[in-house]
Amino acid sequence: MNESQPIISIRGVYKYFGRLAALEDIDLDVYPRERIVVIGPSGSGKSTLLRAVNQLESIDRGTLLVNGSDVSQPKVDLNTIRMGLGMVFQNFNLFPHKTVLENLTLAPIKLKKLSRERAEAEAYPLLDKVGIRDKAQKYPSKLSGGEKQRVAIARALAMNPSTMLFDEPTSALDPEMIGEVLDVMKDLALEGMTMLVVSHEMGFAREVADRVVFMDEGRIVERGTPEHFFQNPQHPRTQKFLSQIL
Amino acid sequence: MSQTEQREQESNPRNTEEETGQSYRIQVTDSAAIPDKSDKGLFTAWRVSCFGAIGLIILLCSIQPDPYLDILLFVPDGVLVTFEVTMLSIVLSLIVGLITGLGRLSGNAFINLTASTYVEVVRGIPLLVQLFYIYYALGTFTQIPPFTAAIIALTVCYGAYMGEIFRAGIDSIDPGQTEAARSLGFSRWQTMYYVIIPQAMRTILPPVGNEFIALLKDTSLVSIIAVSDLLRRGREFATSTFDYFETFTLVALIYLLITLFLSKIVNIMENRVTPYE
Repeated sequence: MNESQPIISIRGVYKYFGRLAALEDIDLDVYPRERIVVIGPSGSGKSTLLRAVNQLESIDRGTLLVNGSDVSQPKVDLNTIRMGLGMVFQNFNLFPHKTVLENLTLAPIKLKKLSRERAEAEAYPLLDKVGIRDKAQKYPSKLSGGEKQRVAIARALAMNPSTMLFDEPTSALDPEMIGEVLDVMKDLALEGMTMLVVSHEMGFAREVADRVVFMDEGRIVERGTPEHFFQNPQHPRTQKFLSQIL
Repeated sequence: MSQTEQREQESNPRNTEEETGQSYRIQVTDSAAIPDKSDKGLFTAWRVSCFGAIGLIILLCSIQPDPYLDILLFVPDGVLVTFEVTMLSIVLSLIVGLITGLGRLSGNAFINLTASTYVEVVRGIPLLVQLFYIYYALGTFTQIPPFTAAIIALTVCYGAYMGEIFRAGIDSIDPGQTEAARSLGFSRWQTMYYVIIPQAMRTILPPVGNEFIALLKDTSLVSIIAVSDLLRRGREFATSTFDYFETFTLVALIYLLITLFLSKIVNIMENRVTPYE
């Protein structure tokens, strides 16, 4: 697995909201084809960490390399780097004024300068992959939460990203819709997509993750394989967290 | 006040000041009150005004063609000028408004302050004074044709109001939309252009429609600097015939008809754009 350079390399990263340290001395590497699931209680900084990777949150200290470029530096071409990082949000954030198909094709047409035909030809297989081709001409308001999130995943995939970032992708969903979204994510994992996932879905972490990272109060408290993590956690904070949720 | 808060207040009119910590905002628009379908009383008001005005014009012109019909034949040039001034000013003020609105949202302190000060200054000076200022006061340095002065004054004034509308409209869009677009790799401007402004447009449309109607009425002020709009043409007719009562009655009825008609169009446009489906 560690045969190459990490896609994402986080070193000594700090982030403050006022005087509160949202991220404290974070080190983390994400290698190609690796699936990392970040878990932790609310306010532990896990979403902040994910959002720092594509610079939706700036960082105050440390280096944060994506494919070798430090994204926290002002002169870096952030837009190009972001094209390689697919982001999926808790609240979907689909474009309500665009149809499902247009949600997928907008960025490829405008940013990659694909023709509409070409972009649509690439979008349909993605809609097939997330099982939502029949809704291509619908507007997001007509979709269920699970369908919206699947479209959001397809929209991110339409840019052919090297890595997918998932920020609590199932937290806003009704329980019966969580499965369909997780299934899509599992398929992606099987295809070898590099994934950094912030989630409360322990089942998903156990099944899919190569490594699980546990965060609390802005720090990485413990990390390891799912086996290590769920069967033999070392840190008392991890043990307490797991005993509360499992 | 954000849109949601506003909506909450509207749907829950029992929220008093103590409960919400906010005073009631009474919304008064410049356009005619267009009723929704449930509102029978207002519906009648619009109809009574509209058909009443048409009926009255026809009646006056048929029983007393001299001077009413003469007036009606004399003023159409003025109506045309009124429309020209309105259209030009609205288009220009939309452009100024968009720039001002973006400026008001800018993170750059200088741009932000410039835009905010412009809005504050313009809103604090009566339009008629602005009109005099541009035509007469600035006229001492350089001669500006009345029509141009009128367009400049209306654009400067309404640009500030439009700026506030654009700012509120753009502000009303969920920040998640910006995050989603930026995450895909869109630049700040591309995000504005492809994602935020298209969505803000529909929030903006109703108040812009109201401003359009308000502006049309305010164009009557330009008659004072010798632009031959509807009111000016009326005055020209009245001063030569001394038929003041008859002339201004007709002029008022024509203004009323135009605004009622435009209110209806704005209303239809509002209803047409509502759902994304």
